[in-house]
Amino acid sequence: MIDPASGPFLFDTSAESWLERSEDSEFSRWMRVYLSHHFIHISAITVLERVRGYSSVWQRSAGQKRHLVESARTQYLGALGRVWPLDGAVAIVGGEIMAMLPHPPTPPRRAHRLTESRQERLARWRFDGMIAATALVARMPLIHNNAADFEAVRSAIERSPGRFPSLGPLELIRCASLA
Amino acid sequence: MGPARSLSRVKKQRTTLTLPSDSFTKAKNIARARGVNLSTVISEALSEGLRQHEATERSEEVLNAYKKAFSGFTEVERALLDGIVLERAPRR
Repeated sequence: MIDPASGPFLFDTSAESWLERSEDSEFSRWMRVYLSHHFIHISAITVLERVRGYSSVWQRSAGQKRHLVESARTQYLGALGRVWPLDGAVAIVGGEIMAMLPHPPTPPRRAHRLTESRQERLARWRFDGMIAATALVARMPLIHNNAADFEAVRSAIERSPGRFPSLGPLELIRCASLA
Repeated sequence: MGPARSLSRVKKQRTTLTLPSDSFTKAKNIARARGVNLSTVISEALSEGLRQHEATERSEEVLNAYKKAFSGFTEVERALLDGIVLERAPRR
């Protein structure tokens, strides 16, 4: 278990929503204690991914569903904690990560008869690199729900510390190990 | 700047409080040990209690907002909200 008071932590996009959706009361308790000590820290990339998601669902919806989507979007944006910008330092570190790992370590997602295009997978991989870069620059552990991608980034940084002077290692915390 | 010093700068108001006698005794002992007056110890304890109360309120507000932000969506829509775009695979 990770002491919630020992934060703050940077939350990856899927980790932020996973913790809310979790049915396990232990995780809800963990979040309550965490929030009583710290803000939820996220990268501006997470805001980008989330708003793109809300907008895409809104465009595919009609009538009452559009109201629900708009209301959900408003709730999300109203509750934003600390958003870390994509500044010069993050861009430099993100560029190094992308150069070391140009290709996603796992194939595109599939669900039922649906699939993620290669182009979308590559874009998501690059976003993950920028979120990892933000965690390094902010010197915060990264809470994630995507071990394959972030472990690949962590290993690459460990293999080439010279490319990340005075930064790292990338500290990763899996959602499931929080509570 | 210590809490006692920062408290000395804020606007003050005199009031009468009824406290549990064991809390009163503990506060007096702390004041004596630290060499400050009883008001300082009680003000600090009250400030900390209020800070915790506000933090708990903020925590509940954020959790309620998150609940509304991620409810009512299908699995595919949830994936979209997480930045994963799933679409019907093109026919070969």
